[in-house]
Amino acid sequence: MRHETPTAGPVAARVAALNARYRNHAAIAVLRRAISDPEVGRVALVSSFGAESVVLLHMISVIDRATPVLFIDTQMLFAETLAYQTEVAASLGLSDVRTIRARPEALAAHDPDRLLHKTDTDACCALRKTEPLERALAPFDAWITGRKRFQGQTRSRLDFFENEGDQRIKVNPLAHWRPDDVQEYMVNNRLPRHPLVARGYPSIGCAPCTSRVAPGEDPRAGRWRGQDKDECGIHFVDGKMVRGPLPPTPSATDRNEEHQMNVIVTDTGFAADDLSGAFQPADTPGATALDLGPEADVTALAGRLDGVEIIRIAFPAFSDGRGFTLARRLRMMGYGGRLRAAGHVIADQYAMARRTGFDEVEISADLARRQPWEQWQARADWRAHDYQARLRGAG
Amino acid sequence: MSKPFTPKVVTANALVEGDVIYLTADDRWSRALHEAEVIEDEAHAQLRLLDAERQAHAVVGAYLAEVRPGPNGPEPAHFREAFRARGPSNYPHGKQTELSDV
Amino acid sequence: MYSYTDFDRAYVRERVAQFRAQVERRLDGSLSEEEFRPLRLMNGLYLQLHAYMLRVAIPYGTLSSRQMRQLAMIAERWDKGYGHFTTRQNIQFNWPTLRDVPDILEALADVGMHAIQTSGNTVRNVTADHFAGASADEVADPRPYAELLRQWSTDHPEFQFLPRKFKIGVTGAPNDRAVIRSHDIGLELRRDDAGALGFRVYVGGGLGRTPMVAQELAAFIPERDLLPYVEAILSVYNLLGRRDNKYKARLKIAVHEHGIATIRALVDEAFAERRAQFSGDDHDLLENIKAQFARPELARTDCAPYWKARRADPVFRAWADTNLAAHADPDHAIVTISLKPHGATPGDATADQMRVMADLAQRYGHDELRISHEQNVIVPHVHRADLPAVHDALKAAGLATANVGLVSDIIACPGMDYCSLATARSIPVAQQIATRFDALKLEHEIGSLKIKISGCINACGHHHVGHIGILGLDRAGVENYQITLGGDGTEDTVIGKRAGPGFSADEIVPAVERLVLSYLDLRDSPDETFLQAFRRLGEAPFKDALYPEQARGRRDAA
Repeated sequence: MRHETPTAGPVAARVAALNARYRNHAAIAVLRRAISDPEVGRVALVSSFGAESVVLLHMISVIDRATPVLFIDTQMLFAETLAYQTEVAASLGLSDVRTIRARPEALAAHDPDRLLHKTDTDACCALRKTEPLERALAPFDAWITGRKRFQGQTRSRLDFFENEGDQRIKVNPLAHWRPDDVQEYMVNNRLPRHPLVARGYPSIGCAPCTSRVAPGEDPRAGRWRGQDKDECGIHFVDGKMVRGPLPPTPSATDRNEEHQMNVIVTDTGFAADDLSGAFQPADTPGATALDLGPEADVTALAGRLDGVEIIRIAFPAFSDGRGFTLARRLRMMGYGGRLRAAGHVIADQYAMARRTGFDEVEISADLARRQPWEQWQARADWRAHDYQARLRGAG
Repeated sequence: MSKPFTPKVVTANALVEGDVIYLTADDRWSRALHEAEVIEDEAHAQLRLLDAERQAHAVVGAYLAEVRPGPNGPEPAHFREAFRARGPSNYPHGKQTELSDV
Repeated sequence: MYSYTDFDRAYVRERVAQFRAQVERRLDGSLSEEEFRPLRLMNGLYLQLHAYMLRVAIPYGTLSSRQMRQLAMIAERWDKGYGHFTTRQNIQFNWPTLRDVPDILEALADVGMHAIQTSGNTVRNVTADHFAGASADEVADPRPYAELLRQWSTDHPEFQFLPRKFKIGVTGAPNDRAVIRSHDIGLELRRDDAGALGFRVYVGGGLGRTPMVAQELAAFIPERDLLPYVEAILSVYNLLGRRDNKYKARLKIAVHEHGIATIRALVDEAFAERRAQFSGDDHDLLENIKAQFARPELARTDCAPYWKARRADPVFRAWADTNLAAHADPDHAIVTISLKPHGATPGDATADQMRVMADLAQRYGHDELRISHEQNVIVPHVHRADLPAVHDALKAAGLATANVGLVSDIIACPGMDYCSLATARSIPVAQQIATRFDALKLEHEIGSLKIKISGCINACGHHHVGHIGILGLDRAGVENYQITLGGDGTEDTVIGKRAGPGFSADEIVPAVERLVLSYLDLRDSPDETFLQAFRRLGEAPFKDALYPEQARGRRDAA
């Protein structure tokens, strides 16, 4: 048997050597492999310079201090974090720290008053973290995070290596670490502490969304306190969490285009979005372009549809078919304006969207690339073979 | 630390045929469990699983299955994997009739 | 029988072409596996433990001989020479390759069949009483309504991505053979005081990990309102059903969480809106469909050959006693062909056997076949004079097992021999129970008894409604079988109660044997069935038989 022969080919030897080297899963060994192994590719460390970030920063300073470090400055951080970042980078001799920020024009368009976090934390995270990070990660094949299994329920099955949407590898060298391991490492290596930790902030993010944590609470309970939110978008695969009115993040597969608009699909082809940014929540008085979530109660719109020019219904996942019934109900209520399905709708659903009353579908540039117009065109003859229309009759 | 890591193989179904397949140490997909690469290290297991998941054009539903070492290579640790390796037990008409050496 | 219109034919061809393109797009990377999966499932294609599995719909369980022969051809050409009839009136092919599936679908389209919506979170194949159009107790044939619902639900644009799968069952008789109260929507045809046809509508039934008996949503919905009413229920469910947890996503959970009154109010509101959308064309279509289901012209000949064979041949008599059911016409019988030979896989038929059944239907049965949810095949209109010839032909094909409704007529899901969701095997348990009771020669003595086996909590083997239900689980890496007692899938649907701790694979058959033998001791007469005895005596004496150690302990302590 191949794998039992000690003198077998180079692959078996490599595997055996790797197995021996990583037997005890030491975080530093995983990290060393991530940084040096050609299988992993070009790799960056993403760091918030938060409470525990210094551990990984120290490890890479030992392995290769020229490793790129991406520091996301959301421009909402504590002053203490900015000072700490400078101090740590200098004391560890990190030679390639890149500060990542949102594009000024995106900030001007979506959060000119810096108040977006009060109305929509998801959109704020997307604007200030997810989108800039996705852009900064474009040249990399892998990125290193400090996520750990003990941090909250959603991470209890975290692995060392994760496949991120077939685009990148995410490396979590500290996946198995307990809180004690972090503390011990910091003590043993005499690492500087984040100044806010002593003041009751064990997990540190942006100033508006971080509060103190009581003893015994989940250390991340202070992040987005009181909101139904555990993770910022940067720990989701692109496309699954984007909810706010932001344009989608640029895809890693097309690194040259700075900004990619969503694509509007109609019976005649793909077109650019003529209304980007015009949509407002359904309860906005006088709004003529409404955004509805899949959970919306359309009966609340009864009597208010006059003057509405377009309604956009969100499809958070193509497997969530609520939007089809919402569209049909709006049409039965007499709504005659434009109706748009937006989000993860695939070409195979185009006829369903049209038959339930949608006029058009808004998809990301990424999906439009993967499912070009020909695939939508195959379903553009949506009136053909329609059992329901036949049963309802022309009347 | 969580519970100790037990030996694994990477297994999946072939995209076109649907057959049960196993990843070998030399990066082939084999129909025979005894040819599978036995992975003793968790970090390596996850990298191999990533290798498998990247082959979406050829395989479906890759996962890590627990195995035990045996005289002729890895053996399934769970009865579900035993059926996957052998074929249905109601009467022989699956893999057991195709792989004479199982 | 219904035959496809040009509209149906064009639609099914179009769907085959679409699926052919989808397979190509999966292979070239345009569709990810995540996106392809629901599309293949909508076309009945699963990926199971060892291979792909194609589930083909047999709408309301009705087949012509030509269709049955085509299934035989498919089994031989693209599979391993057999097919498996399921508990939802479908047939499954267990070994097709992905590239062959479009060709198989094409072959199905050739005979007016398809695999559309036999899977996925959508309205599934509508099931109906397998004796429909033939039984003596029927108010009206439920199949025209099932066909109307098939057309309405096919590719319904609103309901292809529901929170979870959705099952509709229809019966036209007060004796429910279609288990309608374990469906998301159960429809019982009845007449109102003026004699008009309509439906009692039940909602929220289902087996699975949270078994629930459907509740009455409406006492009478006129037949002309069937589609808008059902569409109203679906529209309410599409918005209300939970999408955060697939184990809580079925309609039964929404009914349970919101209460039947709330559901009724929402459905009534939606119904008013929906009814206005239908202009009446559906009624014309329904009348047209009804005409196609008219009972065939039955022969008027002498039944003497039947009586003669009964007297002369005890094997024939035993088969006739178990496998025939009363036809509305006394000179005719409904023949149930058992697909449960002792020791075989329940519901499997070889291509040769399929052809034999097709020939018999063509020659003696007005070209009609039915598939029952109990995984048998039915020839619904056979003149009694032809029964000896039918029996001879069945015997020659290994299809004359005289065990319908008896202990070896077991429903079993595919279990871990095929299914990727299973936690234990179910077929071998069925094989061993059947073999054991055949060896004991007690089967006919025991009489009517329904054993149903599921290989996981999803309950495809309907174990909750078995008189004896068996549920296979994985307990710490070992197969373990739990027994439930007293379930009933008829119009008085009852969910069986778990008897106690489970049994290992080695212990389960002896446990069932103890249980059944204790019934023979406990019954007050040979006429009292297992279920009747259980209802009279309660579970205690049966539990004592299952767990003799505990019973002995209790006796010693007393």
